[in-house]
Amino acid sequence: MATYDAVHGRLRSWRRLTASFASHVVLLLFLGFVLLPVIWVALTAFKAPKDAYATPPTITFHPTLLNFHVLFQSQFVADLGHSAILMVLSTAVALLLGVPAGYSLARANFKGKRFMTAWLVIAYVTPVIVFIIPLYVEYLKIGISGSYLALVLAYEIGLLPFTIFMMRSYFADLPVQLEEAALIDGCNRARALRLVVLPVMWPAVVTVGILVAIASWGEYFVALVLTNQSTTTAPVAIYTYVGIESSNWGAMAAGSLLVVLPVLILAVFIQRGLIRGLTSGAVK
Amino acid sequence: MPSGQTVARPGGRLSAGRRAGRRSRSDRRFFVLAALPAFVVVFLVTIVPLAAAFGLSLTSYTSANPVVKWVGLRNYKLLFSDPNVPTVLIVTASFAVAAVVLEGVVGTVLALLMSRKMRGVSVYRVLYLIPLMVAGIAAAVSWKALLDTSAGWVNSILHVFGIPQANWLASPTLALPSIVIADIWTGAPVVAVLVLAALLGMPEDPLEAARIDGASQLQVVRYIILPAIRPVLGFAVIFRTVDVFRQFGLIQILTGGGPGVKTTTLNYYIYQNVFTYGNVAYGSTLAVLLIVAMAIPLGIIYLLTRRREI
Repeated sequence: MATYDAVHGRLRSWRRLTASFASHVVLLLFLGFVLLPVIWVALTAFKAPKDAYATPPTITFHPTLLNFHVLFQSQFVADLGHSAILMVLSTAVALLLGVPAGYSLARANFKGKRFMTAWLVIAYVTPVIVFIIPLYVEYLKIGISGSYLALVLAYEIGLLPFTIFMMRSYFADLPVQLEEAALIDGCNRARALRLVVLPVMWPAVVTVGILVAIASWGEYFVALVLTNQSTTTAPVAIYTYVGIESSNWGAMAAGSLLVVLPVLILAVFIQRGLIRGLTSGAVK
Repeated sequence: MPSGQTVARPGGRLSAGRRAGRRSRSDRRFFVLAALPAFVVVFLVTIVPLAAAFGLSLTSYTSANPVVKWVGLRNYKLLFSDPNVPTVLIVTASFAVAAVVLEGVVGTVLALLMSRKMRGVSVYRVLYLIPLMVAGIAAAVSWKALLDTSAGWVNSILHVFGIPQANWLASPTLALPSIVIADIWTGAPVVAVLVLAALLGMPEDPLEAARIDGASQLQVVRYIILPAIRPVLGFAVIFRTVDVFRQFGLIQILTGGGPGVKTTTLNYYIYQNVFTYGNVAYGSTLAVLLIVAMAIPLGIIYLLTRRREI
């Protein structure tokens, strides 16, 4: 019996080992696929044109900052600035309006709440082009095309419902007793929110803010059709004049690196929030 | 965090009851005021434009002639005589089905593998998050370069393994699969991350019980794990369907909808009509079609995957 167990045990552990090995092979293959564009950007950003276009591609090359020099002499720096301004403005609006609305949806029961929630889902799910066409026409008519106001409003189509849903899910996780204690002690809602709820919710608000900022920073379609020269964003610039027209891959990669790198660094701090950001809309 | 229980309750109960009426009224006012500004903005940027889009589809508005002149259902009749519309719908459906199915399957498999207790698995859990954060434009630009026929890395990797090189983005048969591959790059990790979160939150007991009863690993997955993650998988698939229908950057940058209209999805066709050709009214009509075209699969997925009441 003992020998049977020993043999059986060894067999099982051997099977576990091969299963783990096979899992690692599959996961590594996909990891290679995931990292391929990342490595391309990281290397090509530092390649001189002749290396960027080498056929077949070269692995060894002399790294150069040439592409960044080209970028910094173009309007790309200004466009990074436009992206940053839009990011700050649209994140501020999303949080200022979305945090109280999320609190309200998590705690209150008022007429029309179901309709409002349903509408937020529809706004979030509908391809943004449906809303952008009439906005584009309207902006032309009232003469605010290409302005920050016009862009921030259009960005909020996606950002505001996202903020409200995420904040609602964070507020719903907070024990009601916390505010009730404050309310019994004579606080009104506004004071309870400000003095009791928000102080413990700061990490959540910051996480949501970072996620919204990342989405705003990387926005491409809305910016492509609604910006003008004085508000062009970095992602639009990468497409319109940095690379595609001149097929300048090195500059395109350098521009992409400048757009992606800050986000990757920021994301290290909000890994948990990132997963939450994906799941907060999931029906609970 | 201050604990709610420690606050003096017994003394407060009576006065709390007396105050309740007044409190609930001021409470309600506060809740409405807190939600109102956000909803005013959401209405302003969605409900108003949605009505306007429908209105525009009944006019002859173009960029060259920007006047609102009612033409009734003329644009809707145009939908049926436009030779591109059937192709565009087929491309949209093929792209959506291929991308969402592959992302669902690959993502679920990756999540199952990542949920195993083995050494080094957390490395994948972190690195697979990268595509979720990379701006769409950067991903599109990289894939365009990677899939380039002569200088692209994909073809040279294939060459090393002796697989014939392909003309990925310009070929009528490979252009759409190329876009699907690039979409899987973000889509499969999204599904994997969602499903993994559900798997890690699952109770261990039923799995152990099934194994002790002699169930094979495949049976455990089929009869215990998959039913348990069905709601999350449903959400992930809806999430990806929504994203695939609005996919823009990949199509514009990788193929520009070509060759011909072989990779022109409905979303991209609307963009071309409105912002390239200036057919604002006809583009709005196509937008109405897009809403209808999207509602169908979303409804089906929702019905298939919603939690069954037992």
